[in-house]
Amino acid sequence: MNISYNWLKDLVEVDLSPQELATKLTNVGLAVEGIHEFENDFVFDIDLTSNRPDCLSHLGVSREIAVIQNAELKIKNANNEGQRTKDESQNLVTIQDSELCHRFTARIIRNVKIAPSPDWLIKRLEAIGERAINNVADITNYVMHELGQPMHSFDLNKLKENRIVVRRARNGETIKTLDEIERKLDDSMLVIADAEKPSAIGGIMGGFESSITSETTDILLEVAYFKRENIRQTSRKLNLSTEASYRFERGVDIENLIRASNRATELICELAGGTSEEFVDVYPTKFQPDEIESKNIQFAVKRLTGLTVEETEIIRVLSALGIKPKEKSQDSNLKSQIYVVPSWRHDLVIEEDLVEEVARIYGYDKIAEEIPPGKSAGEYQPTEPRKKSLRKTLADLGFDEAISYSFIDVKNDEKFELLPHLVHENLDEKFVTLKDSIIEGAVRMRPSLLSGLLDAVRTNFNFQKRDVKLFELGKVFSASNKENELPNERELFAFVLTGNEMLENKTMPVRELDFYDAKGTLESAIDVINPINAPSLEFIAKDVKHLRKGQSAEVLFNGKLVGTLGRLSDEIAQAYKFKQPVYVAEVDLETLLLRHYVLNVETAKFTIKGNEVKLTYRPLPIYPSIVRDVSLLIKRNVSFAEIKKAIESEN
Amino acid sequence: MSEERKQIEQIREAFEQEFGRFAHLRVEIDGLSLTDAENLSRELVELKTKHTGKKSEIAGAKKLIGRVAPEERGAFGQFVQTIEKEIVAAIEEIENNLKNFVSKAKIEREKLDVTLPGKRPRVGHLHPITLLRQRIEDIFVSLGYAIEDDREIETDYYNFDALNIPEGHPARESQDTFYTTNGFALRSQTSTVQIRAMERRGVPIRIIAPGRVFRRDTPDLTHTPMFHQIEGLCVDKGITMAHLKGTVGVWLRRLFSKETKIRLRPSYFPFTEPSAEFDFSCFKCGGTGIFENERCRPCKGSGWIELGGSGMVHPNVLRACNVDPQVYSGFAFGFGLERMCSLMYSLDDIRLMFENDVRFLEQFR
Repeated sequence: MNISYNWLKDLVEVDLSPQELATKLTNVGLAVEGIHEFENDFVFDIDLTSNRPDCLSHLGVSREIAVIQNAELKIKNANNEGQRTKDESQNLVTIQDSELCHRFTARIIRNVKIAPSPDWLIKRLEAIGERAINNVADITNYVMHELGQPMHSFDLNKLKENRIVVRRARNGETIKTLDEIERKLDDSMLVIADAEKPSAIGGIMGGFESSITSETTDILLEVAYFKRENIRQTSRKLNLSTEASYRFERGVDIENLIRASNRATELICELAGGTSEEFVDVYPTKFQPDEIESKNIQFAVKRLTGLTVEETEIIRVLSALGIKPKEKSQDSNLKSQIYVVPSWRHDLVIEEDLVEEVARIYGYDKIAEEIPPGKSAGEYQPTEPRKKSLRKTLADLGFDEAISYSFIDVKNDEKFELLPHLVHENLDEKFVTLKDSIIEGAVRMRPSLLSGLLDAVRTNFNFQKRDVKLFELGKVFSASNKENELPNERELFAFVLTGNEMLENKTMPVRELDFYDAKGTLESAIDVINPINAPSLEFIAKDVKHLRKGQSAEVLFNGKLVGTLGRLSDEIAQAYKFKQPVYVAEVDLETLLLRHYVLNVETAKFTIKGNEVKLTYRPLPIYPSIVRDVSLLIKRNVSFAEIKKAIESEN
Repeated sequence: MSEERKQIEQIREAFEQEFGRFAHLRVEIDGLSLTDAENLSRELVELKTKHTGKKSEIAGAKKLIGRVAPEERGAFGQFVQTIEKEIVAAIEEIENNLKNFVSKAKIEREKLDVTLPGKRPRVGHLHPITLLRQRIEDIFVSLGYAIEDDREIETDYYNFDALNIPEGHPARESQDTFYTTNGFALRSQTSTVQIRAMERRGVPIRIIAPGRVFRRDTPDLTHTPMFHQIEGLCVDKGITMAHLKGTVGVWLRRLFSKETKIRLRPSYFPFTEPSAEFDFSCFKCGGTGIFENERCRPCKGSGWIELGGSGMVHPNVLRACNVDPQVYSGFAFGFGLERMCSLMYSLDDIRLMFENDVRFLEQFR
C-alpha cells in the first residue's frame, strides 16, 4: 500500500524525516518496503499484515505515528452526527438484510458538475499510484485513501424511484458492473438495488448503468458497512477483488461512516459545486465495542515478552491506540481490568493481543536474548543416524542426491510396478490425487520415486551429461482402504545409474556400468543401515513391469520382499528417448528402518524377528587363509545362488 | 718357473682380449641405451664367471703354485693373486658402472608427471537442502531439542483449525493450499507438527521439525509449489520472547558468525501472539549493506536478512493440545530452507533445487 508523506503531515504532526519515519513504522509492525520520491513528496510502500485493515489509509498510519511520537492527531474525532435535513426521507434507504449490511448511509447531492479534478487532488492520487477519473470519482477515492472508508456514488436519476433497497440478489439476477462485465448473481450475494434491479454489488463494485457520467447532475453517495465474511465470499465467487472489497472483507470502522460521508460531501460541494440535501443513516446493527479482560497487564507483558514496562507507560500506549481502560464501578470488587477496543481494531480480542500492542510500541528491540534453562537432552529422529549413513555411503559411491516434486504426471500411473503392500489394488481410486495442479498434468501424489529420478536423468542427458548416478529418499503416497482416512505415506529409497564409471578430471571412462554395479550399490547401501554381521539382501530373478526381462530382480530382506532392481525396460527407455542402458532400484526404506536389529546387551546379540547377529567379536584365525580353485561343469540355467547354496550345504 | 709365469701371462692376455670391448665403459658409459647396458651387464656376468669363478683358468692356475720351487713359491703366489685381483677389479669396476647406469636410466625412464590427475573415484554430493538441514539439526540437538517430523498430507484440523485458523479465516481461504480429491490438505506449513508433537509428547517440549510443505505457487525465480521448512517449538513454564530471541540468536551465530545480530519485528500469524518476523544481520556484509564497495546482494543493501516468522504460541493453539496457557507459555518459529540456501549461495533461481541437474548438485558439499 502506498502512503504519502505530505498527506500524513496533513493529519498528524510529523517531526521525523521520511527515512526515520520508515524505520519507526517498520519497528512497530508497519513494514516499509521502500520509499520513492514523487515530485516534492515521498511515498512509502508499506507491506501491511492482514490483521491491520485499520492502517489501510492515511488516517490509520497517522494514528500509529501519533502513538510513536506521543502526538495528537490533527483531524477531529469521528463525528457520528450527519448533516441531516428536516425532510428525513426514511423511504430513501431500505435494508432488507440487516445481517449482511450493518449500517448504510446515503446522501443526496444535487446540481453537481462532473469535470476533471483540480491539480492538487490529481497529484495526491497520482502520488500513491491512483489514476484520476473525474471530480466525484476522485473524491470518493481520495476519501477512501484518507479515512479508510470505501464509498460509492450513484447517478440518482438513474435509480428507479430514486431510492435504494439493500437486499440479497435473486438467483439468476445479473448486473453489468463498472468494468462492463455482465455478472451472474445468486442469493448469497448482497446487492444495492433500486426499486427494481441491482445497481451495485454491495461493497465490491458499482453497476455500469447507474454510474456517474459527464451528464450526471444529482448523485446519491453511499457510505456503508457490510459483513466481512460475506464480502469475502462474494468476491471469491465472482473472482472480483477491488480496493473496496479488499477493505470491507478485512473490516472498516463502522463508527467512521458519517465522518467519511461528511468529508466527501464537503469536497464534492466545494469542487463539483453541488448542494448537500437529504441524508439518511440506517444503522440496524449497533456497534458494540469488544472488551478484553486482563488480571494484570503488566504481569502479562512480563510473562510473555520478558519486558518490564511501567504501568503508566502501558496505559499511555494503550490509550494512545484508542484502547481505553473501563472505569470500575465503586462497588465492584473485580480485581481485573476491562479494556475497551476501539471500533477500527478488529484484531484485538484477548489479553495476548494487548501484550503485543504494548510490546510493539515499547519496542521489540528492547527484548533481551536469553537461553531457556536446559531440561532435556537433544535427540535426532530414531532413524536419522542410519539415514545419514545411507546418504553418506551413496555419496561416497559417487551418487548425487536428488529431491523431486512429490506430485507427478498421471501418465506415469501404469508404468511402474509398485512396492508390495503400498497400494490397495482393489480400490477404485488407489492413488492420491490433487484437485488441481500448478505444474501441468502433475496431480498425482507419487506412488514411486522412479519417475522423478528418470525425469532427472533426462534433464541431465539434455545437457550432455551421460554418466549419471542419482539417489533419492522421500515419501510416496497411496489411498487408504478405509473411507475418510488420511492417505498412506511411506518413505522409500531409490536410485538410478547409467553410463560409465568415471574418475574425477578424467575424460576416458573406466568401464561401462552394468546390472552388477546397481546390485552392489544396493547391497552396500543396505549393509550400512544394519549391524556388521547381519545377513545381506537376497535377489530373486523375477519379471518386474518396468524392468527388462532377464535383468530384473526382486529384493528380499530377511525373507520379505522389500524392493526391485534391474535394467529399465526398452519400452520405458524409448518413451524417455534413452539410448543407453539405465539401471534402477527402489526399496521400502521405511520398512527396512522399522525392521531394525535390536541390541540385547545381556546376550550381546542384535536380534530381528528370530534372526540373531552376534555383537561379540570373532577371534582372529591363527593361520593365513588359503584360496582353492575348483572347476565345475554346470548347465547354463543353474544360477550362482543355487551352486553357492549347494556348496554351503556341504559345510 | 718362467714356464708357469708365462702361463699366467697368457691367462691375463686371454682375459684382456675378451675384456677389451668393456674397457671403454670405464669412462664413456653415458651414450649407452638402457637395453645395451642391460645386455652388456649380462655378458659381463658371463665374463666374470669365466674369468673369476672356481672353474676359471686363474683358479686352475693356482694349482701351479705347488709346482714352483719352494723359494720362488711366495713371489709366484703373489703374482697370481695380483693378476686375479686385477681381473676381479677390472670386472667389478665396469659392473658397478653399468649397475649405476642402469638404475639411473630406469629412474629416468619411470619418472612421472606428478601434476597429472590422480585416480580419483568421483564422490557424489548431498542435496544442499539435506546439507543445510543436517547442520541446523546438529545445532538444535546440541541445544537439547528433539527432531520431529510427521505427515505431509493432513486434515484441515491439523493444517488449520488447531493452528487457530478457523473456517472463514482469510489465511484458510487464500488460494494457497493444495487439496486432494478426498478433501485432505497437503500441509502448507510445518506448524502442523507443533500440534502432532504436543499431542504425542505433551509439555514441556522442545522440538524442531524439518519437512516438505506445499503451496499453490506457480514456479518462478523465487517460488516453487513444494519447498522445505523448519519449525521450532519450545513450550514450558516461564518461556518468553527473550528465549525466542536468544535461541534464534545462538542458532544463527553458530551457523554464520559470532557477530551475527538478531532483530524481531512485529508481525501477524494466526498461531502466535505476540508475533514477530525474525531477521539477522547479513552474513556477507556483516550488516553494513555494502560488500566490496557495492550494494550487498543477499540483504539488498539493508544489512538485514528477513528469515522467517515467529512468536509466542497462541493460547488457542496450546488449548487445542490440552495445554493450559495460564500455566505454560512457549515460542515457535518457522522458516524456509530453500530461501535460506539461495541467500547463502547467491542462487538466483530457486527452481534449480528440484531439477536435479548434476551440474547444480555437484556445487555443494
